[in-house]
Amino acid sequence: MQAPHREHLYKLLVIGDLGVGKTSIIKRYVHQNFSSHYRATIGVDFALKVLHWDPETVVRLQLWDIAGQERFGNMTRVYYREAMGAFIVFDVTRPATFEAVAKWKNDLDSKLTLPNGKPVSVVLLANKCDQGKDVLLNNGLKMDQFCKEHGFVGWFETSAKENINIDEASRCLVKHILANECDLMESIEPDVVKPHLASPKVVSCSSCAKS
Amino acid sequence: MADSLPTEFDVVIIGTGLPESILAAACSRSGQRVLHVDSRSYYGGNWASFSFSGLLSWLKECQQNSNVGEEGTATWQDLIDETEEAITLRKEDATIQHTEVFCYVGQDVEDNVQEVGALQKNPSSVESSILTLDSACLPEERHTSYLTSYEVPGTNTQKSDRELSPEVTDTEEWLEKEKYCEDKTCVYTVSDGEKDENKLRVKDNTDKPKKNRISYSQIVKEGRRFNIDLVSKLLYSQGSLIDLLIKSNVSRYAEFKNVTRILAFREGKVEQVPCSRADVFNSKELTMVEKRMLMKFLTFCLDYEQHPDEYQAFEQCLFSEYLKTKKLTPNLRHFILHSIAMTSESSCSTLDGLKATKTFLQCLGRFGNTPFLFPLYGQGEIPQCFCRMSAVFGGIYCLRHKVQCFVVDRESGRCKAIIDHFGQRINAKYFIVEDSYLSEEACSTVQYRQISRAVLITDQSILKTESDQQVSILIVPPVEPGACAVRVMELCSATMTCMKDTYLVHLTCSSSKTAREDLESVVKKLFTPYAEAEIDKEELTKPQLLWALYFNMRDSSGINRSSYNGLPSNVYVCSGPDCELGNDHAVKQAETLFQEIFPNEEFCPPPPNPEDIIFDGDDKQPEASGTSNIKMAKLESSKESKSLESPGKHFQN
Repeated sequence: MQAPHREHLYKLLVIGDLGVGKTSIIKRYVHQNFSSHYRATIGVDFALKVLHWDPETVVRLQLWDIAGQERFGNMTRVYYREAMGAFIVFDVTRPATFEAVAKWKNDLDSKLTLPNGKPVSVVLLANKCDQGKDVLLNNGLKMDQFCKEHGFVGWFETSAKENINIDEASRCLVKHILANECDLMESIEPDVVKPHLASPKVVSCSSCAKS
Repeated sequence: MADSLPTEFDVVIIGTGLPESILAAACSRSGQRVLHVDSRSYYGGNWASFSFSGLLSWLKECQQNSNVGEEGTATWQDLIDETEEAITLRKEDATIQHTEVFCYVGQDVEDNVQEVGALQKNPSSVESSILTLDSACLPEERHTSYLTSYEVPGTNTQKSDRELSPEVTDTEEWLEKEKYCEDKTCVYTVSDGEKDENKLRVKDNTDKPKKNRISYSQIVKEGRRFNIDLVSKLLYSQGSLIDLLIKSNVSRYAEFKNVTRILAFREGKVEQVPCSRADVFNSKELTMVEKRMLMKFLTFCLDYEQHPDEYQAFEQCLFSEYLKTKKLTPNLRHFILHSIAMTSESSCSTLDGLKATKTFLQCLGRFGNTPFLFPLYGQGEIPQCFCRMSAVFGGIYCLRHKVQCFVVDRESGRCKAIIDHFGQRINAKYFIVEDSYLSEEACSTVQYRQISRAVLITDQSILKTESDQQVSILIVPPVEPGACAVRVMELCSATMTCMKDTYLVHLTCSSSKTAREDLESVVKKLFTPYAEAEIDKEELTKPQLLWALYFNMRDSSGINRSSYNGLPSNVYVCSGPDCELGNDHAVKQAETLFQEIFPNEEFCPPPPNPEDIIFDGDDKQPEASGTSNIKMAKLESSKESKSLESPGKHFQN
């Protein structure tokens, strides 16, 4: 059996076209607020969300926004590296952002795999569903089919504004990551050096995720 | 994914090499609106690292460079008015020459091998690169080895792979052997792979057991495991790059491996150099007396300035001569001169030698047992880390974005704008450009040095130990005095730069001829070509070469800004990679240029910690476009920059 108390730290990516609500989703999820004023993402790498998954397990999620301006699809590898899962977001009121979804998914799969070579778990978010123009989604079966074809583990209609389905989508993603994780343990790399401001030291990965 | 680019910036940066990327981070960080473009499809320019298929595509690009078409480039002439003139930029990259590829391992031609999960930049590239490797010498069936050369058109056209430098007889013999093996296999014409395997197994029983047999298709299939650096460098653990990474907190994006061994090549043998106190005492190669002598000398070097009487009389002498006066055995002198000070026997002064030795010793122990760190996933990560920092602070990134010309105001002589390949005019106050983008006209009087590089994939370490995960650096001194020492870096799969059961070996030296001519003699000393056929016992002790690439890269690091003709004063020039082991040149260049452009701004101060940022929900000044008006996210004032890091805030896998 597992140790009585386990902590996990996962890096999750939030990807999608400009203005689909990536930052809003993160803000809603992590900070429980929403602002209708648009603001580019400046100076922020990631936001941290702590989930008390079950009595034995704490999950810390690092949500990495694509830096607002890496928007031409030219993300650095630093962004993708060692991510365990991703949300790909589109705006239900703008069909063009849905058309870009497959492109984002291909791009992600080409640049990132789990240490065992498998693709990371990705959940598709149909955001701004509060605006009632979800012409794309009137056929749930079609969306299921789309997800199957493109390798998404699931999809959700979300609204950062009304706080709809964001927690649910996140739980779905975390569930898949946890299920994948057992066969990844062996591939952890020891003796990695991470130079810090405070105290330079050798951090062994076996002691990770402790704070 | 795409929408139109804003047209007003403070700084436009062309090229994503290390100095440009540091500058991008520094400028964005200080609140400048930065546009950072690269004409290539990848980050890093000549500082990039590639997967195996990525490297093959890069080779192809180098080869085809001279016939880059004018496809789809809008004309810029109409966009310039009478008061302005244009300075055009170079359309193709001319910094790589004399590329030559040698593949020693067997390949199943029938196999439609592809890199698993590779990004298909040019869908044709992966396969065709393999198959176009001089099909003339490919037999129909499985074959042991073949060789080919990519020559950059126009640089050395008269030479083909069939007539590989007949003047180097030594080399020729070696290659002949290769061809011979190949022919032999052709005669056997093993028609299916299984039969071949059987043959191997029989041989394995007679020879000493060999664990891994790696084929070309395996290398291609596992190609993503490779991150092959175009420049081979390390970070001094007290060097300016590490300091900058830490100070700016860009280090949060990077992870490193310690270089685990410093090696020396003496009398035909590779040995480990003891450099820390523990190493010296544990060394089995050194006698007690030698240990004492070495410790005494190294201790002296740590604060040599305090003991001027010890070296003053020798200040004008060569360091190698000075060492002879210090009662050190030849063994120890070799270690100190080549592996610790890493200097030249025939040109390094005593003072420089002492300084280099001290630098080395000071770097010991900060992170590990040797003074060096290597970035996980390769050196190419480092520019990307700075680009990420720039992007996080609002920098806009466009790869595959060509710039046609600078627009210069005739009256003021200052650059006002660039015109890109879409014919869009983008205005800015300052322009930073990597020198490979400058036109031939601007560089007509410039004399460049060259760097000779080799990249090898091998099956074993050059010095085997219990651990097969060593990261080693070896300096091979020149045979003739006055020639250049060759720096050899051997990376194991734990550095995330090569597939399991292989090693990635980088050779670097300052060029005197083509890369192969400069480096092949050292390659021959250390390695033996992969052969499935019988090999004699002595050769077996050397690692086998599976694949090799040679190329020359232009070294523009010594070029003075004033050597370029007719550049406006607000166009700043960054150079490509230099030949040195460390990254000091790039860091210094970036800092100097930044200070020149923004004398009152701090260079790369630490950013706020993501977890200290408070999103303010009621933002009263919504931004119109998200790019024109850059604001810093608020930093909780109680937190000071000194303690931005705390364990666990960092992503640790």
